Amino acid sequence: MWCYEVVTITQLFDLGGDATSMLFNVIWMVVFFVFILFFNQRMQIITYQRNVEKAVDRLQAMSDKSREDIFKVVKPFNAENADIRASVNNYLEFFTIEPVSLDPFGVLGRLEHILDVRRERSMLFVSQVAPKADKHQKANIEDVIEAATAVNYIYKVIRHYLLLGKKTKSLMIFVQLDMQLPMIMKQAEAYYTAQRTFAAAKPIGDGLGPLVAAKFMVGSPKEAIAEEVVYSQVDVLGRKAYVLKAEGPGGVVGKPGEAVKQLIEKLGGKVNRVIMIDAGLKLEGENTGEVVDGVGAAIGDPGPEKFKIEDACVKYKIPLDAIICKMSLEDALTTMKKEVVESSETVYERVKQAIKERTKEGDTVIVAGIGNTMAVGQ
Amino acid sequence: MTIRFPTRASTSDQPKSNGKPRPPKYAMLSVAFAIGAIVLFLLASLIDSVQDYSMYILIIGAALLVASWGIYFFVGKPSSKKALPDERENVITVIGCKGCDKREERAFETGDFMFKELGPCAKCSGVSFIKAIYLIPTKKE
Repeated sequence: MWCYEVVTITQLFDLGGDATSMLFNVIWMVVFFVFILFFNQRMQIITYQRNVEKAVDRLQAMSDKSREDIFKVVKPFNAENADIRASVNNYLEFFTIEPVSLDPFGVLGRLEHILDVRRERSMLFVSQVAPKADKHQKANIEDVIEAATAVNYIYKVIRHYLLLGKKTKSLMIFVQLDMQLPMIMKQAEAYYTAQRTFAAAKPIGDGLGPLVAAKFMVGSPKEAIAEEVVYSQVDVLGRKAYVLKAEGPGGVVGKPGEAVKQLIEKLGGKVNRVIMIDAGLKLEGENTGEVVDGVGAAIGDPGPEKFKIEDACVKYKIPLDAIICKMSLEDALTTMKKEVVESSETVYERVKQAIKERTKEGDTVIVAGIGNTMAVGQ
Repeated sequence: MTIRFPTRASTSDQPKSNGKPRPPKYAMLSVAFAIGAIVLFLLASLIDSVQDYSMYILIIGAALLVASWGIYFFVGKPSSKKALPDERENVITVIGCKGCDKREERAFETGDFMFKELGPCAKCSGVSFIKAIYLIPTKKE
């Protein structure tokens, strides 16, 4: 009876095989449809989850290594037998709450205040864990901790979404994470590599602005103007140029916006041009070290410094030029590449050309070199 | 493909991993099962003397294939093959002189910074200083 039925079905579908192959065909089709209907999404989740787990694993390795590197960097400047492990682990979780922007009035003032308090806390922490370090070494340690904090934060956020995705079994969480992972990993690796550069106190790509400014300033007397910013008055092609940069060689950016504002006020607004030099993010396909001109405040701060420059320039109707050297985030955060050093000469010449073409002899110009001045003196 | 145990991301703050890939034992097992399944399928199809047992061979092959997928999807976890970014860098310090065209290159040393004065120049009476510090990219980069 059974055989009879099988033969009938075989004939019906014209499969042309024996009972065994028929049985296998039926099993195969059942398994296939069960798989497609019931396990389809589950298999997709597993595939995406594996990619995210791989990334989290790598991020954890980076976070652990950067944490260990802090101890190594701090150890020579530490008080004897002091156990800083707990305090460093605790500080890596340090957070900053942005001011409320529902009422935007005065938001930049509030943001600046929060950033000042954050910086003050950061400096205090470094003084506690590395009391034997000098001013520049403390600035470098601060940068090392900042980079480790960034890596740790990225690791924790990605791990959070991984665990959330597992908990909710949400395909969408994994798909979104997986799609963004290449960019996130690139950013994390940039911070991770940056930390090693900071620890060794090597110049970074972002130091291009201070490097060009230092070329103008070298050999001239320097004066402090704002927090961690110095300036020199130099003669450039018969023009009076006030050139400013963060005070090196420690890894600081200072408050260049405040410095430009104070200089403009000090000169009674009689400034004919402000020229800003900074590193700018390149687009894929563009070359590192490409120098381009533009207008506006070339500074990548969260807002307060940029606002001060724009505000002072608008108040006295001062034209604002920008010259940027293009580089990737990784180039900006890691050891300065040869192309960037070579471009600094191009930028230096470009600034002189801008001064020559856009101002007259006897005019007053402000040249601001923006960026982290690690391992760039003046 | 490299897979490893355990599957869960750690929630501990204590350093565990040193970034080195762990032995891919589960990956090897999964690949071995898959190869075994393929070999059995080929045996069942091509060797006439085992035709009588082809159904059993196919069932064993299918079981091996399922076990291989099961290990791949449920037991192991992929470990990143890519090592952490290399710590070694070829950083050059260029020394120049304010008085002459002297140019020297040496490896970067801790404490070097651009425009740092290094004392009198060996060639003239000028002051030698660090002119530039830069990274020489590796061939891979």
